[in-house]
Amino acid sequence: MTYRKPTREETTLIKRSLGRWGAFEFFEGKSLGIHENGSKEVFLLPDDCERVMQMQPYLAGLTIGELKKQFVPSMAGADLFARFGKRNEFYITVNEKAEKLVLYGRDVMGESIVEASGVLGENELVIILNCRLEAIGIGRTRFAGRLLLQIGKITVTTLMDAGYYLREEG
Amino acid sequence: MPALTLIFPESEESADLAARYGYDRWLVSRFREYVPAIQDFMDKMEKAPTQYIRVNTLKTSRAEVEGRLRSKGFGLKRTEIPETLMVEKAPMSAGATNEYLLGHYYIQDLSSCMAVDALDISENQDALDVAAAPGGKTTFMAQRMSNTGQIIALEPDGKRARSMSFNLARCGVYNTCILKMNGLQAEKLQSKFDRVLLDAPCSCEGVISKDATRKTSHTPEDVDFCSSRQDKLIAVAARMVKPGGILVYSTCSFAPEENEMVVDRLLQKSINISVEPTKYGSSGLTRFGDAVFDPQLENARRLYPHLNDSTGFFIARLRVG
Repeated sequence: MTYRKPTREETTLIKRSLGRWGAFEFFEGKSLGIHENGSKEVFLLPDDCERVMQMQPYLAGLTIGELKKQFVPSMAGADLFARFGKRNEFYITVNEKAEKLVLYGRDVMGESIVEASGVLGENELVIILNCRLEAIGIGRTRFAGRLLLQIGKITVTTLMDAGYYLREEG
Repeated sequence: MPALTLIFPESEESADLAARYGYDRWLVSRFREYVPAIQDFMDKMEKAPTQYIRVNTLKTSRAEVEGRLRSKGFGLKRTEIPETLMVEKAPMSAGATNEYLLGHYYIQDLSSCMAVDALDISENQDALDVAAAPGGKTTFMAQRMSNTGQIIALEPDGKRARSMSFNLARCGVYNTCILKMNGLQAEKLQSKFDRVLLDAPCSCEGVISKDATRKTSHTPEDVDFCSSRQDKLIAVAARMVKPGGILVYSTCSFAPEENEMVVDRLLQKSINISVEPTKYGSSGLTRFGDAVFDPQLENARRLYPHLNDSTGFFIARLRVG
């Protein structure tokens, strides 16, 4: 893997995204790196790791997301945002039954959502939280506002979930 | 390669124990020389090892994990290591809970946690983990460092490095870099570290209770091979330590040739290295057969399944002057 520093343009995009997830302050003063391998992954780097970076590490720090047209958090990124960021309208909370399903990669039914902002739009990226406000997945809304809560319909598509580590590793 | 592994004459007792428990005789004859209460030891090795989990305090607290797992029916008991809990009762696999998936704990043997504890690592230090995958000790080190400073983790095998990267991500570790590198090449890093952990590849005699094939599958030549490789690794690892820093050498083998003898040879070559006492386990050996070791080896520690309720382990904490 070859890591590099983000360009100014990439830095702006990442910072804007961190603001979106309420996590800007947590990342202030921390080093970020980019690894390109077909995709552009964003890494939170250890302190003073310049020398190691020259040795082309297999992994440096923690992948917090991927830069596409917009910044899409990884599960590890979502976990950091949920723990250290200020939760805002881009976080939804689901009940215990849905938590189990999301951790198997299943989508979210409207009746499983216990908290969602009324201002959320359709096709928005959201971090899915359990009732303890821990990040269990990343999703995309299929509906806007109150329609997210409608019964009998999948209203959020699960893009990634914390069960992924185990399934991928296995 | 010189033959190192000591072979002792068989006795009636060792032949009887070997037959009864299904071991090669040479192995039991050796155990008789240094394992205390050998009958208890052999009995314990027949039982599945006690399971332990290590709470990931980067994400949660011990009390939180205790509460959540107990509410699911787990029985947990605290241990000498504050982050480590013994699993006394498990209504489901400890690796199948939501808390596990969320990285709130790591399934890790007590002995392995004790090796990290012996490092006495703290925030903002630089650390090198010479043979790092799958990352149990690395993630514990990161936790003791509160994700500050830096850990360089060496793992030459791509599959194992990948598996380790998942464990680091699950545990939320961001102060670690994995380099695909054999520990013998560590000097290419051109750095020295406050703390170095060498959990050396070994004959794994200490995990016979997990893998009974090891009762008969390894030979004295395998122990020789491991010992020779460990000699080379520990010499490199010792050179990677900053003056005043600590090197912890550990294995999951009982064989003195892989443990005290390796450390003893290092001490003979280095005047500025001392073995410091650590808290847990039985004293290291100062003699084995005809071999007599540096008296400081008494400060090293042996963990026996029947005495410590852990897998078999050896830990030596070396201060580099």
